[in-house]
Amino acid sequence: MDQIITAVVAVVGVPLVLLGYIIGGEKVMERLPDRLQGWARPYFWALPAVGFATIFMVYPMVRTVIISFRNNDDTEWIGLANYKYFFTFPDTLTALRNSVAWLVFYTFFAVFLGLIIAILVDRVRYESLAKIAIFLPVPISAVAASIIWKFMFDYQPPGTTQTGTLNAVLATFGRDPVAWLITGPFVNNAALIFVGIWTAVGFCMVIISASLKAISSEVLEAARIDGATELQIVRLVVTPLLWPTITVVGTTMLINALKTFDIVYVMTNGAYDTDVIATRMFSQLQSSHFGRAAAVGVVLFIAIVPLLIVNIRRFQQQEEQR
Amino acid sequence: MAEVLARLSSQAKALGLGTLLLVVACSTGGGGTSGGGASTTDVTVWTAWGGDELKAFRDVLKPFQDSTGIKVHLTTNRDSTNQIANGIAAGTDLPDVAPGPTDPNLVKSWISKGALKPMETILGDKFNDYISNTYPALTTPAAGQSDNPYILVVGGKHYALMVKTQVKGLFWYNKKVFTGTAPKTFDELLGLNPSQFGGAKSLFCAGFESGAASGWPASDQIDNIIMRQSGDQIYTNWIQGKVKFTDPAIKLGYQTFLKEVSDSAVFGGRNTALSTNFGKAGDPMFNSPPGCLFLEQATFIANFFHQNKGVTAGTDFDFFAHPSINSQYDGNVNGFYDQFSVYNDTPAARKLMQYLATKDAQQIWADDGGTLGAIKTLKYKDPIFARAAEIASGAKNLLVTAGDFMPADMQKAFWQSLLNVTRNPGSLDSELKHLDQVQAASYATS
Repeated sequence: MDQIITAVVAVVGVPLVLLGYIIGGEKVMERLPDRLQGWARPYFWALPAVGFATIFMVYPMVRTVIISFRNNDDTEWIGLANYKYFFTFPDTLTALRNSVAWLVFYTFFAVFLGLIIAILVDRVRYESLAKIAIFLPVPISAVAASIIWKFMFDYQPPGTTQTGTLNAVLATFGRDPVAWLITGPFVNNAALIFVGIWTAVGFCMVIISASLKAISSEVLEAARIDGATELQIVRLVVTPLLWPTITVVGTTMLINALKTFDIVYVMTNGAYDTDVIATRMFSQLQSSHFGRAAAVGVVLFIAIVPLLIVNIRRFQQQEEQR
Repeated sequence: MAEVLARLSSQAKALGLGTLLLVVACSTGGGGTSGGGASTTDVTVWTAWGGDELKAFRDVLKPFQDSTGIKVHLTTNRDSTNQIANGIAAGTDLPDVAPGPTDPNLVKSWISKGALKPMETILGDKFNDYISNTYPALTTPAAGQSDNPYILVVGGKHYALMVKTQVKGLFWYNKKVFTGTAPKTFDELLGLNPSQFGGAKSLFCAGFESGAASGWPASDQIDNIIMRQSGDQIYTNWIQGKVKFTDPAIKLGYQTFLKEVSDSAVFGGRNTALSTNFGKAGDPMFNSPPGCLFLEQATFIANFFHQNKGVTAGTDFDFFAHPSINSQYDGNVNGFYDQFSVYNDTPAARKLMQYLATKDAQQIWADDGGTLGAIKTLKYKDPIFARAAEIASGAKNLLVTAGDFMPADMQKAFWQSLLNVTRNPGSLDSELKHLDQVQAASYATS
C-alpha cells in the first residue's frame, strides 16, 4: 500500500512541482523589468535541467573520482593505491589487453563491414530486404544475443550429435568440434568480439547508408564520365565523402567497445581470460572494493572523454556544413 | 503593490506545496514497508527462494499466520544483501527478517552497526532448545573457538537462525549400471574400471558450466577433497585467506581434483566437462551404453535427474557418500544452509523466528521434499533425503562451501582457476601463484 501511495505521489507530485515552478516562476518573471527578464529567463528555464544533471551526473562523477583515491570504507585517503592495483594486477592487465582487442577489432569490423554492406546494398534492387536482414540483430538486447550465440557455440563430445550450429557445420565436414568459448585466448575472445560485431554492424550500416544516399548522383556520374572504375569511385569519391559519418560511427563504436560488459558477462563472465575492463569493475564492486571499482571507472571515463569530444566536434562540423 | 504581494504570496504557497510534495515523494521513495514501528501484527520477510522452494516456505508459514493472526509480507529478493547494505548505509527501512550476509566481513560490520539482532534475545527462552535440536555443525564453532562468522556466530552470539541444509559431495549413480558396492576410499573409487559396468565409457560425468557462476560445481569437488585430505582446520583457514593457494595442501587438492577430470576419467573429455551445464551433467549416466558411472553433486540434483530423464530416486538411481581420503578426517562433510537474520526486533518478528525454530515448522519443509531441515530429528519420506540426513547427523563438522564464503573476486578467481586447470593442467603452478596474488589483494580491506 505504501508503495502505491509513493508511486502516486511521485507520478502526480513531481510534475506538479515542475508545473508550479514554471507557472509561478513565469508570473514572477513577468513582473521584472524587461531587460532583467531577457537576462534571467534562460537561466530560469535551464535551472531544473542543470539541477537534475548536477545531482544525478556531476555529483556522482565527482564522488567517483574522490572514492577512487580513498579506502573501502571511505575513511582514509590512500593516494594512488587503487590506480596502482589497476595498472599492475595481472587480471586487470589481461582485461586491459582484451579491451584493446575489442577496441581494435570490434570497431574496425563493425564500421568496415557496415560501410561495405551499405555500399553494396545501395546497388541492388532488394536493398531494403538486405538491410532488414543485417539490421535485425540491432534491436535484440545484448543479453538475448549472447544467449543465442551460446547455443550457436555449443559444444558436445566428439562423436556425438553436435547441437551447436557451428560445430554441427564442422561435423558435416568430418572435423572435430571446437570449444569456442573455452579455447583461448585467441578463439574465445574472437568469438565474443564476433558476437559484438554481429549486433553492431546493422547500426553502422544504417547510419552510413543514410549518408550515402545524401551523396549527389552528379558527383558519381562526373567520376564515371572521367573514366573512374566502380572500385575507384568507392575508394576515391564515396569513402572520402562519407568520412565525417564514418568518424562519428567509429567513435561511437569505440565507446561501445570500451563499455562492453553484457556479452562477456553472459557468455563467459571473464573465464578463460576473457575479462574486459567493465567486467573487472563489476567484480570489484561485487566484492565491496569500491575504491578499486571507482578507479576502473575513472580510467574508463578518461579513455572515453577524448572520443566524446571528437564525436561532438564532428557533429558540430556537420551541423555547420548544413 | 499590496495586490502584487498577495499574488506573489499565493504563488509562493503553490511553490511551497509543490516542494513539500517533492520532499514527501523523496522521503517515502526509498523506504520499505515495515515503517520502522514495533509491529505485533505484521512482519516483512525477504527470501531468495522462488518456485517450489518459495511454495514450500509459504506452506511453512501458513499454520503460523493462521494461529497467530500475524501477517507475513513475503518478498522474493535475490539481491537482498546489496539492498540491505545500502539500507544500512543510508539509514532507510530494512526488512524485519531476511537472510543474513555470508561474507564474514559484512557479518562483522553489520553486527558492529547493530543491524543484526542476536538470536539469544530473539528466541528468548526457546534459544537453548534451538541449539540442542539443530545440527551442531550449524550452530557451534569448532572446538576451541568461540566465533565462526561463517555460521554467523560472533562474540559468542548467534546472529542467524538456521532453517534448512543440504549435503554436498555425494556420488550419484544409475542403479542398473553400477551394481558394485560403494568404494570405501577415494583411491578405490579412482581405481574402478567403468567398462566392467554395462560398458560405461568413463568413470565420471562432470558439468562445470553455470552461466556467470561457471566453475562452482568444480569448486564443490575440490572442497570435498581438501576437507577430507588435509582436514577442517586447513580448509577453514584457507577460506579465511590464512592459507595460501600455493600451500602444499591446497596444491595437492588441485592435483587430486585433476585426476577426476582427466581426459580419460571424465565423460567426453575435459572440454565436455567445461561446456556442459551442471544440470545436464548426469544425463549420460542414463544413456545406453552409459556415458559414465558417477556424478558428484549435492542432494538437489535428484530433481534434475527426474526432470531430464524421468527416473525415480531410490529405484532408478541412488548415491553413496564421498569416500574417505584420509581416515583421520572422515567426519568432515560439505554442506550449505539457509538462514534468516532479524533486522528489526519487533514482537511479530520474534514470534516468527521462534516458530521457524520449531520441529513442527521444519517438518513441513521436510514433507514438501527437496531439502533437509536444520533440525536433527525430522522425518523424511524421500529415501534420498532420509539418507542425506543420516550423513548430516553423522558429520563431525558440516563445513561450508569454500567459494561462497570468500570475497567475491576471490570466489570468481577460485572458480575460474578450476576451469583453467581443467582446460590446461600444465598451468597449475602459474594458476596457484596467480590465486595467491588475488588472495592478497581481495582479503585486504582497503
